[in-house]
Amino acid sequence: MKILELIRLAFSRLRTGRLRAALTMLGVIIGVASVVALVGVGQGTTANITERLANLGTNLLTISAAGANGGASSTLTTADADALRAIDGVAGVAPETQTQATVGADGETTTTSIIGTSADYATVRAYDLWQGTFLTDTAVEQDLRVAVLGATTADDLGLDATSIGSEITIGGLPFRLIGILQPKGGAGFADPDDQVMVPIGIVHKYFVAGDGVRTIGVSVADESQMDAVQAEITSVLRTRHELAAANDDDFSIFDQAQLLETASSISGTLTMLLGGIASISLIVGGIGIMNIMLVSVRERTREIGIRKAVGARRRDILAQFLIEALTLSGLGGLIGIVLGLTVSGLIARLGGITFAFSPTTLAVAFLFSLAVGVVFGVWPARQAARLDPISALRYE
Amino acid sequence: MEAPEPIISLRGISRTYDMGHVTVPALREVDLDVHRGEFLAIVGPSGSGKSTMMNIVGCLDRPTEGTYRLAGTPVEELDDDGLARVRSRTIGFVFQSYNLLPRTTALENVATPLLYQGVSRAERTRRATEALERLGLGDRVTHEPSELSGGQQQRVAVARALVTDPALILADEPTGNLDQASGHEVLELLRELNRAGSTIVLITHDTEVAASAGRQVHIRDGRLSA
Repeated sequence: MKILELIRLAFSRLRTGRLRAALTMLGVIIGVASVVALVGVGQGTTANITERLANLGTNLLTISAAGANGGASSTLTTADADALRAIDGVAGVAPETQTQATVGADGETTTTSIIGTSADYATVRAYDLWQGTFLTDTAVEQDLRVAVLGATTADDLGLDATSIGSEITIGGLPFRLIGILQPKGGAGFADPDDQVMVPIGIVHKYFVAGDGVRTIGVSVADESQMDAVQAEITSVLRTRHELAAANDDDFSIFDQAQLLETASSISGTLTMLLGGIASISLIVGGIGIMNIMLVSVRERTREIGIRKAVGARRRDILAQFLIEALTLSGLGGLIGIVLGLTVSGLIARLGGITFAFSPTTLAVAFLFSLAVGVVFGVWPARQAARLDPISALRYE
Repeated sequence: MEAPEPIISLRGISRTYDMGHVTVPALREVDLDVHRGEFLAIVGPSGSGKSTMMNIVGCLDRPTEGTYRLAGTPVEELDDDGLARVRSRTIGFVFQSYNLLPRTTALENVATPLLYQGVSRAERTRRATEALERLGLGDRVTHEPSELSGGQQQRVAVARALVTDPALILADEPTGNLDQASGHEVLELLRELNRAGSTIVLITHDTEVAASAGRQVHIRDGRLSA
């Protein structure tokens, strides 16, 4: 007997008991919908984290001083940063020394982070320029009083494209505004668009004593060189800091890629967990199908007897009931996918949560619902197939 | 000229039921031949072994002992699926309680045996319609059993028995649930089919009904007598 015939038979059966079929499918529908929605949340979160971290700059090594926030006590200096430029595979080096100061322009003021850095900062931290120019090597070498504003800061001060070249004050000192950055969106901890970038020498001269830096950002030309460059930085810095073999590093190197990996593995685990919880409801839905199929086999004992009398073999009956269970679970799966997509679309619109759906997820959810149909349908179907035709025909 | 092989040939058929610690014999060493084109009635009161006889002849059950050849096939050794195949190809059943599939149209009911023969949908519809028309139910094809009278339901059941063009039609108390007029009609129908060449075995407790048949055998306490 052909599968198509059995599917046709199953559908005509479902039509005669619409309410029961709908209620039976409900379990699977809810199960699949929650799998689809929750895995969607998980994958959306993963994609979100990955994107945000990529915003921070990839191929980025961040060297932090063990200890203070820059200044005299820091173990890292601008000279260290200069030494790192010579390492093979290093594409850019941006030392950072940070302070807080009040920035003013045309009567507007705001208090924000002042970052003293080099011309490589934009490359290393993956900023794009919106207007004007970024800090130039010349400006950094000559400690010119020039400043580049983050998008938020510029907005706070009411500055726009026409303001390039005008004068602003930082901590009471006059600076020339030479550029405004494009916004890149929050990375979760602090607004990366609310800051002011000036040549590092200026910060050391007027705001933070000494030549210490808080961090040095190093961008590596090629991802494959990350480990080699990291090792070379360690060796250069240890030599410069005259550390004996027994001493620990007085700095730490932080690999952006590692953070990415950790973050996406955490959210991957989260996704699995959410999917797993949702699958439980799918299994409960499967039990619902089994329950109804067992009832159905009992109710239709006579039908089974008749079919056997007129020539149905065991496998014909087995296939009929299995296909019926599969039709219930498969149809439930399809409806569940549509429902899951709809619900998560609504939540995304109302709640601002990011969802991501891959065709693979949807296919797996559907196959899973079919598997539920097989697993929970096979036993009732076997019960039906094994009925003795004589007693089945007499069954009232 | 050698006599043609009988379509049904029972030799020394016994069937006992195992009821825990006692065994109950329902048929005892039954011998029976039915020839092609015959209309035979097996008559007996309830408890005589009639139903067991019908189950064995209808290949719904296997004898405990003895040999049974149906249309040349030894069936006593077949497994369940083998019996199903024999039923599908060789036997058309008519039951006392019609045994039509509920919530299923007359057409689909009649077409069901063909489904299990692997006949295509178009062909099934054609042959089922033909069988229903032959029994005067051409205007009832889309009716479900609940929309038909008892006599009409039994005629649908006869159509279902006919549709595979079986070597044997096995009717088990086909008039038992019908009023006299409808019962008469069904018996007349069976006689007609017999005249047209079908071999029919009718099982009944009613001697009047049995009188429609060309030959009668009586069953009592699991034994046959002419």
